[in-house]
Amino acid sequence: MRLLLIEDDLQAAEYLVKGLRENGYEIEHSPEGRDGLAKATAGGYDIIIADRQLPHLDGLEIIATLREHNDRTPVLILSALGTVDDRVRGLQAGGDDYLTKPFAFAELLARIEALNRRSAVATETTRLKVADLEIDLLARRVMRAGHNIDLTTKEFQLLEFLMRRTGQVVTRTMLLEGVWNLHFDPQTNITDVHMSRLRNAIDKGFPKPLIHTVRGAGYVLKE
Amino acid sequence: MNDPGRKQPDRNDSSHHASLAHAADGPGGPARIRLSSERLAVLFIAVFAAGVTLVLTSVYYLSAKVVDREVDAVISAEVAHLVDDYSRGGLLQLVSTLRSRTDSWGRFGAVYLLTEANGQPIAGNLARWPSNVRSYNNWIEFEIDASEAGGVVAHPVRAQRFLLPGGRRLLVGTDILERTRLASSLRTAMFWGVGSIILLATLFGISYSRGIRRRVRAFATTCESIMAGDLSQRLPVQTSHDEFDTLATAVNRMLERIEQQTSVLRTTFDSAAHDLRGPLYRARVRIEETLQHPGLADGSRETMEATLAELERVQRTLGTLLQIAQADGGGRDLPTQEVDLAQLARELVELYTPEAGARDVSLEYDGVEHMTIRGNSQLLAQALVNLIENAIKYVAPGGRIDVRVTSGAQAASLIVADNGPGIPAHERSRILQPFVRLERDRERVGSGLGLSLVAAVMRMHRASIELLDNQPGLIVRCTLPR
Repeated sequence: MRLLLIEDDLQAAEYLVKGLRENGYEIEHSPEGRDGLAKATAGGYDIIIADRQLPHLDGLEIIATLREHNDRTPVLILSALGTVDDRVRGLQAGGDDYLTKPFAFAELLARIEALNRRSAVATETTRLKVADLEIDLLARRVMRAGHNIDLTTKEFQLLEFLMRRTGQVVTRTMLLEGVWNLHFDPQTNITDVHMSRLRNAIDKGFPKPLIHTVRGAGYVLKE
Repeated sequence: MNDPGRKQPDRNDSSHHASLAHAADGPGGPARIRLSSERLAVLFIAVFAAGVTLVLTSVYYLSAKVVDREVDAVISAEVAHLVDDYSRGGLLQLVSTLRSRTDSWGRFGAVYLLTEANGQPIAGNLARWPSNVRSYNNWIEFEIDASEAGGVVAHPVRAQRFLLPGGRRLLVGTDILERTRLASSLRTAMFWGVGSIILLATLFGISYSRGIRRRVRAFATTCESIMAGDLSQRLPVQTSHDEFDTLATAVNRMLERIEQQTSVLRTTFDSAAHDLRGPLYRARVRIEETLQHPGLADGSRETMEATLAELERVQRTLGTLLQIAQADGGGRDLPTQEVDLAQLARELVELYTPEAGARDVSLEYDGVEHMTIRGNSQLLAQALVNLIENAIKYVAPGGRIDVRVTSGAQAASLIVADNGPGIPAHERSRILQPFVRLERDRERVGSGLGLSLVAAVMRMHRASIELLDNQPGLIVRCTLPR
């Protein structure tokens, strides 16, 4: 997979490029806006990671230009502007995801993975299945190994969110955004309690757990 | 006991009321201003009218007195002359003088009469001794009928009378019709003069007080928008160069200065916050990079992870500060949408119920089903999250937290009530400021920004925030305009 990183902070860019290469991504770096846009329009990238404040041309302008030319390449915005307002603006401008600096590298990896897979899962699916766990989205029913499992509405949403991203790392921030629609970080790791309840419901009593904790990053649901 | 809705807290006593919106529209606002300018106008009219009346009355009495004195002087001189005649030439000389005077009509308006003791006229221009005489000291006044162009007119006369030896009587006087007419026209002039002055003063007073009211209202309106965060507003200055303009100019200069300082402060703060993110970001990157080395000693790893956690705290504080700064920058371009406050509160209570339960604290929502207001859902959610997290942090195990949304005609209330230690009354206004923490909480983890952010979000929504006593515990009540 080919990534384009448009970032003027050279030291940070160097680290990101190194880290992403180590994780198996092919990545190119552009240090400023105009060059970045030229590279982006030349095409061939699966995901563009753009800093919001760049010399010559800022990140939102790059997105706007791409979208004007019907280029739908997913864009992840990196920004030092972190207020709620800024995030909303970034997403409204056509960005697909938004990360506030400084962020954990694991968070960036998870987001890139999510953007990459997003197009893969059909939204019209009514049933999702991982190993012996199966959920019916219409009937809102959860079955594991033939046993009915009762979940609250939120627990069901949480499980659906994980099952749509099977095998992907899901961070706490992604859960807050995706399940609770909260685009800020509360003081408490509030998602942990809910995850442990969900785990109790679907993994307890079964020999093979499906929900796994990824140290320093979040959770993953996989066989 | 802990139901915040059933409590009727004494607002003056136990609450800090930071009302931020429509402060000047309360009772005693513009009404008092109107009263003051109108009272001033009425007072002005009264003083002015009294002054004018006093001046005109003095003029009237003084001029009447001058005329009176002149009349009396003329008569006295005449009498002296006649008495002299009588003492030199006796009755004959007196009669002769009177006759010659009567024939030639002497001075204008002179009246003489000399009679025998039985009232028979001897000389003079009166037919008989007057009846209906009013006497003042040694002066008398009476009326005679005199024919004038068109008819008979009663002429007032002022005179002196003397008893001569032998019972004869002498009367010397003057027609004072002109004097009376002068007094009467003076009175008329005074009446109209005072009347029209009062009328003019009233009209002037009304327009003056209206003008003042209009300008004060314009000032108040501008001040409202300035308080709402638009520091670029200025008080209107007219070309009249009056006291209001002097005041407005001075206030505008002050606003200029404040805006300048605020903008310098904000720019400094913003760039500081943004510039700090760069090094923070790189520091984080380096630590993460180091943590990936497999050969890292366990002790170093722990230190690095602890440092990373500290960096995250700094980052969070910076973010919150930026958010507060943005709120106080006016928040005019704040994106808003229809937000169901009740649903938001229910969902957040649901989100935090397990966390509260883990600490043996009950967290419940009891309020209306739906309450839609216009606002920024993310900021409102963050404010509520801060309030709930705060309550969970301070309430002791076994305690309870009630979240409630109520709806009124004009406003919606968002209430978070707990039965924790509460906040002493004298600390309540201070605690909403950034970095202010209670002495007893010094040891606890926290930035001292949680409640400040709530207050900032409420300011952005033109809402008020009150901290009340739950006896024991804290009630935070946010009142949002619908």
